[in-house]
Amino acid sequence: MLQENTALIPDMIKQIPLVNYVLLASILFVIGIVGVLIRRNALIIFMSIELMLNAVNLLLVAFSAYNSDPNGQVFVFFIMAVAAAEVAVGLAIIVMIYRNIRSIDIGLLNKLRG
Amino acid sequence: MDILGLLKNMTITHWSFYIVSMLTLFGALGTIMSKNPIHSVIYLILTFFSLSAHYIMLNAQFLAAVNIIVYAGAIMVLFLFVVMFLNLREENEELPKNSILIAASIVGGIIGITLIAAIRQTQIEKVNPYSFNTKTGLVETLGSLLFNKYLLPFELVSVLFLIAMAGAVMLGKREKGERHF
Amino acid sequence: MYPILFLSFSGLITLFLGFFQEGKWVKPATILFLAIASISAFIDWNKPGAYFFNMLQVNNFNLLLSLVILITAILIVAISDNFKEIEYAHSAEYYAIMQFSLVGAIMMTNFQSLIMLFLGVEILSVSMYVLTGTDKRNLRGNEAAIKYFLLGAFATGILLFGIAMIYGGVGAFEIDAISGTLASNQAQSLFLYIGLVMLLIGLLFKLAAAPFHFWTPDVYEGAPTIFTLFMATIVKTAVVFALYRILHQSFQNMHLSWSYILAGCIALSLIIGNLSAVKQISFKRMLAFSSISHAGFLLLGLLHVSKTADKSLLFYSVSYLLASTSAFGVLLALKNERTENGRSNENISVFKGLATRSPFLSAVLIISMLSLAGIPLTGGFWSKFYVLTDAANDQFFYLIVLALLLTAVGVYYYFKPIITVFEKSDIQEAITINPIFKIIFVLTTLGTLVLGLFPDLLYGMI
Repeated sequence: MLQENTALIPDMIKQIPLVNYVLLASILFVIGIVGVLIRRNALIIFMSIELMLNAVNLLLVAFSAYNSDPNGQVFVFFIMAVAAAEVAVGLAIIVMIYRNIRSIDIGLLNKLRG
Repeated sequence: MDILGLLKNMTITHWSFYIVSMLTLFGALGTIMSKNPIHSVIYLILTFFSLSAHYIMLNAQFLAAVNIIVYAGAIMVLFLFVVMFLNLREENEELPKNSILIAASIVGGIIGITLIAAIRQTQIEKVNPYSFNTKTGLVETLGSLLFNKYLLPFELVSVLFLIAMAGAVMLGKREKGERHF
Repeated sequence: MYPILFLSFSGLITLFLGFFQEGKWVKPATILFLAIASISAFIDWNKPGAYFFNMLQVNNFNLLLSLVILITAILIVAISDNFKEIEYAHSAEYYAIMQFSLVGAIMMTNFQSLIMLFLGVEILSVSMYVLTGTDKRNLRGNEAAIKYFLLGAFATGILLFGIAMIYGGVGAFEIDAISGTLASNQAQSLFLYIGLVMLLIGLLFKLAAAPFHFWTPDVYEGAPTIFTLFMATIVKTAVVFALYRILHQSFQNMHLSWSYILAGCIALSLIIGNLSAVKQISFKRMLAFSSISHAGFLLLGLLHVSKTADKSLLFYSVSYLLASTSAFGVLLALKNERTENGRSNENISVFKGLATRSPFLSAVLIISMLSLAGIPLTGGFWSKFYVLTDAANDQFFYLIVLALLLTAVGVYYYFKPIITVFEKSDIQEAITINPIFKIIFVLTTLGTLVLGLFPDLLYGMI
């Protein structure tokens, strides 16, 4: 029984330590953060945020797979659903702004300064 | 350190992990570096596909499929649609120096903390072959969990979608007297 | 629990009500729905427990909290005045989204699993992104919307990373599982620490506490006033109690680690909020900075895990809700008075000569300002008093001193509108006030005074 079960465990989980996945997800997350900070194009900032959410997904799947606990994977569904909703609203806001100022460079929006 | 020896000892699993990881990071870096938003979208799709490859290798097949369908299929098409719709060309934006500094310091901090945490964690985490459930990532397990334990949040996501739908239609709608485009 | 289910449906009905008779039933219907939702909260009275497979926690305190949120929403809907300040108003959608967003707010206060927290935060934030951008042709509104959206989504990403790390450390999303792991006295994995810090950053961002406050003044100023009021009251209350659930009911054993982060945020919020508010000309911007300093005070109430923390926080929230509703409401009532380039003037100078033109409005404004400043005989005094007594402890003694010092600074800028009220103005004609506004103002002002004179009415009841 034990032998059978062991044989079914994916090679990835047996050979690659969890740390590697945590590191990969963290680097991906950090790349997303850097993207948000250095870019001024609203669409690309938004894509960087998607990158951050995907890093979280990878982290959750890795934890969930290594602990063989499905709860983490269900959470990933919710993140995907929320990301879809956010994208719909965010792109509507971007289109609305483009209608008014003909650009999506957030540096051009500086009406509000104290 | 003998890198060559290390390379020789790597199994196919190691190779696939590192190659797919490199692809993921390459796509991610491409997304934030490229000037043209369309290139960004394509790099991001590359990242999503390589993440799906990771999910498959981690035995989460269903999520891998959903990831491609939802992210690469729906969300990125929406992005691409907006890029085309707004007819965005390459912009020559310059990267401000201050924010790079801030970014670098934050990045260094987070990576440092995560590294330490991850290394400390290694000794504790071990896969237990007795209790390991190989069916974790299958539709059957996830479905029964989603519709039993997570029924309430599942239903409440619909509220979120209603907000997004009503909001997006309201914000994107062209009002009387607004110019056409 | 029932308000959540009821509001999900009533919001949908409200969307359809917009089709009939040009939507004139939408506002009364929304108030009716909110009232029914408030009453439905009492179905669970004295039936504490975890419902829906340990997703929602029901107890009397949480019910009171939902009630406070719903009643505030009724006040806000009542003074919304069919959104006349917005160029192309779609009232039915706004009221529907407001009801949906309350679902999120109540989820955030009653959650038992971090999934519910995350969804609640998202439902509330996504509706706020939409509502911020409702004035579509106004560039300030556009800028506020994109800023709020991008920074809010960024904060969500950080919050999610925190939740994922906590999951890595605990292996579950339920907050009792977290406290169970922490209580079991083993060496804690660093994942939990990273997770907690990230989760805190995400939530502090939504609370607009310094150093994560930089979006607040712009968004508060750019959004339509009625939604600024919504953000300043309901979002803040919901986030504070979400933080309360997390810090006091699941991470209480890690108090040493988080109390220092919180102390730093409190000190920064108090300093930045109070000192920046001094030089503001715009009333909304001033209230935005004042809301940052109030976020600092609310966090002060969270600093120590004590039995009275929930009471003090609820008292603080209620008195802050009442005073903010009056303050923003007066601005709304005056929106037709003076306009600049087609937009209403939102500077403090709009109150000039209010004392002669409308003694009623000036009394409302003065009492709300006094309450926000924390002058005795108003609710604001007792709320600050309770929070500070809770926080009084040798460890963070300097924070109390700082809070008291900066309250004195606060008195200075809260008195600026009051002085302006008594200045002479060229216009002498009286201001006519909508009767609904009058009722709401009487309620909020009386509430502030009653809390100030008999604080035990509320504090003793909780």
